[in-house]
Amino acid sequence: MNGFYGRLLHIDLSTGHSSWVDIEETRLRAFLGGIGLGVSLLYEYAPAGVDPFSPANPLIFTSAPLVGTGLTTTAKYAVVTKSPLTGFIADSLSSSHFALELKRLGVDALVITGRADVMAYIFIRNGKVEILAAEHLRGKSPLATEAAIRSELATPTARVAAIGKAGENKVRFATISNEGRHAGRGGVGAVMGAKNLKAIALCGDHATTVADPLGVDRIADALRARSLSSLTDKYRQIGTVANLAVFDRLGALPTRNFQQSTFDRAEALSGETLTENNFSRRHGCASCTIQCERLFKALNGEEQRLEYETLFALGPLCGIKDPEVVLQAAQLCDLYGLDTISTGGTLSWAMECSEKGLLPQARDLRFDEPNALLAAIPMIAERQGLGELLAEGSRRAALELGNDSSYWAMHVKGLELPGYEPRSLKTMALGLAVSPRGACHNRSGAYEADFSGEVDRLHSDPGRGAIVAASEDFAAVLDSLIVCKFLRKCFSDFYREGAELLSKVTGWDCSSDELKRIGERIHNMKKLFNMREGWRAEDDWLPERLLKETLPTGIAQGVGLSARDLREMIASYYQARGWNEDGVVPEKKIAELSLSGVRARASGVSD
Amino acid sequence: MNRPCNEFMNDHRTMADATAVILTGGKSSRMGRPKALLSFDGEPLIAHVVRSLKKLFTDAVVVAAPEQELPILPVVLVRDEVAYQGPVSGIYHGLKASSQEICFVTSCDAPFLNLQLIAHLMAQIPDCDVVVPYWQERFQPLHAVYRRSIAPLLREQLDRGELRPISLYPKVRTREIHQDEIRRLDPEGLSFLNMNSPEDYEDALQMWEKKKRIGIETVPPHSVSNSVPVTVELFGVARIVAKSKTVSLSLPQGATLAHVFSALAEKLPVLVGRVINSEGLISGYACNINGLDFVRAPSAKVNSGDKILILSADAGG
Repeated sequence: MNGFYGRLLHIDLSTGHSSWVDIEETRLRAFLGGIGLGVSLLYEYAPAGVDPFSPANPLIFTSAPLVGTGLTTTAKYAVVTKSPLTGFIADSLSSSHFALELKRLGVDALVITGRADVMAYIFIRNGKVEILAAEHLRGKSPLATEAAIRSELATPTARVAAIGKAGENKVRFATISNEGRHAGRGGVGAVMGAKNLKAIALCGDHATTVADPLGVDRIADALRARSLSSLTDKYRQIGTVANLAVFDRLGALPTRNFQQSTFDRAEALSGETLTENNFSRRHGCASCTIQCERLFKALNGEEQRLEYETLFALGPLCGIKDPEVVLQAAQLCDLYGLDTISTGGTLSWAMECSEKGLLPQARDLRFDEPNALLAAIPMIAERQGLGELLAEGSRRAALELGNDSSYWAMHVKGLELPGYEPRSLKTMALGLAVSPRGACHNRSGAYEADFSGEVDRLHSDPGRGAIVAASEDFAAVLDSLIVCKFLRKCFSDFYREGAELLSKVTGWDCSSDELKRIGERIHNMKKLFNMREGWRAEDDWLPERLLKETLPTGIAQGVGLSARDLREMIASYYQARGWNEDGVVPEKKIAELSLSGVRARASGVSD
Repeated sequence: MNRPCNEFMNDHRTMADATAVILTGGKSSRMGRPKALLSFDGEPLIAHVVRSLKKLFTDAVVVAAPEQELPILPVVLVRDEVAYQGPVSGIYHGLKASSQEICFVTSCDAPFLNLQLIAHLMAQIPDCDVVVPYWQERFQPLHAVYRRSIAPLLREQLDRGELRPISLYPKVRTREIHQDEIRRLDPEGLSFLNMNSPEDYEDALQMWEKKKRIGIETVPPHSVSNSVPVTVELFGVARIVAKSKTVSLSLPQGATLAHVFSALAEKLPVLVGRVINSEGLISGYACNINGLDFVRAPSAKVNSGDKILILSADAGG
């Protein structure tokens, strides 16, 4: 099979047994790889209502048809599981050499279930699966774990994904990390920790075959050239940290736990200032021409990766003004394997609670208190002291603390909000409210409409539903082919070019309409999973603060978002999706998208 | 800390991080006296050319003949090993003396340099070794951009006695800039006008005086009494390229975004080819007025006091 291998490897850590399972071509064509394949497998392998920390919750790693083809920005993999933070789907992406090695194993997916008796790691080499002891790796950072495993296996070419202490301690927003990059959101690292699985090491020898090598090369050359054009200047020249100054100017930079949308020290933290003062080097994923990663030099002399989301969450969101403190906090998150957005989001909730006298045990934990921030991160990872509460994420922590502190818990479905202020970005507000993953900026690009002039970003209207739905479907296709979103502007007609690319890789005769339909199918599959796991209409909503407080500063001063306007946008979204008024996917839509079979198979009913 | 270590300087240099190389070592035989020392606009011609280029380039190298007399200039001065070997030798020594990988090479007898055109040529270099204009059916090797790394090829060429710069072009990644492209920034091709005879010199002086008069008669926008003041705020790549956060502009009444881009190009030619071109914003960049409206059409009106934000069109990350 071109582009795919048509099989998955299922490893049960409880029994140590592993087995190869065929994946039908029809399923691959219906869901592609990456997140699409992942969610279809999750629906099938996760028992309905499974506890995310239960051995039965599958941890699924998927590859994708474009991985290993040499196309720029395609060295990516997906991790899909039931999130311990949201109780719904967790679908995270990471990238680089581990992704290429996963493909070289000759599988489209790894499905890991069960729980090892003691801390273990999996080593897969050329089809042979070993489950090896990892007690000696306990407590090591992901990077140190990668190095130790490669050394003890005497296999320098092995590629490793690992968890840090946060994952071991089941911090609900722990990451899985490889080569310094993270499958970051939703707590996939905590699920791995719950399985007593410290790491996965891969060493494969399969080459990806494609149906039309010359055709793929031609497209690869064109995309490579476009990836080096002005369309990607931002990523190539500054990196995503470039967002901060612009967002501040546009009143879209969440600050002090969303109390305001501008930061009076934005200039000191801006990507431009960091580039001038702290730039160390540019880096990027394997097989990528854009090379968006920026490593900055901290005062301690160490290099630290920094993305906009980390910069926002550990900077303005926590009132931190000093870039050195943000760099140190980011280092700590990487060291322990913590999602920086949820770390910043949960800490900024705690800072606000502390300032209001609700956390007497943490009086120092306030906005703009660098030492308190830096001390709190290890406590979360170790689940020590207040860290035990914060390791649960802002939603659970607020429920436990009570005293109306949920008002300041800035999450959707339990996932902390990213660095896009919903009140001044109304399309994004809708995107965040309805995303199956929770408050997510990656599973749709709803903000693009707000930042393009396509809509009035400060006001809502019922047209936003169709925009958000289309954006989600587009993201679902990108995340399942897989192509990095930073390449998206380099396509002049994405669905046409994407279909042509997929056809040349797989040999299928795929049309742009089919690709669009695949995006819609994948998104509906996520929603069906959430519905099965207990989704209710009130889960598609925004934190109360955003609906009650107007923005106090900046260009968007006085702008708010009413519950009525949000409700109207959500209704328009359900309508655009062809769902019922209460947001439920109707049987007609399930049949239309040929999803009945997946659902039936999961429940053991023949279809 | 202002370390010159960002990524631009590694492989996508700003013009401020490239070198201007000016060749002065010609024989001036038809002119009858050294061209570099001809008086032009009240100063030696070479000083006029260096001053023009210093608006765009931090570093400049002047390549002179052995023992050639020159005024004191803010440049690195190097001399050909052998006098009058021709432009290949001059380019070679200029590239060798440059501290930067990217060099714009010209001669001292071209008084009508157009900084916007030079900026446009520079913007083409990331994927090439040479960027050379093709004007009136001739290459213009002494108004071209070269990578320093091709210097060894020029050395070999000299050793073989190939004294025409164009022999180099088929051997390296050469981008030709065609007439239509040039006309957008320099309609008359004055950039390529050089002076070889006393008649050429007289004509150039007259043209310069005429241009100055026109310049005075066509009152520049910033001195129009009923002008529209606006501020351009630069973000991201635009800010880093321009090394400036804000730019104040005065535009004529009824001004549009097209006026903004044109005035900005004049004030910050370093942005031409990188962020703006003759048609407006380059793909990948966006414009927002007052933090509220995203606008792209050059015909969009701007009003007194407007803040024009120039930023990346891609908000992701």
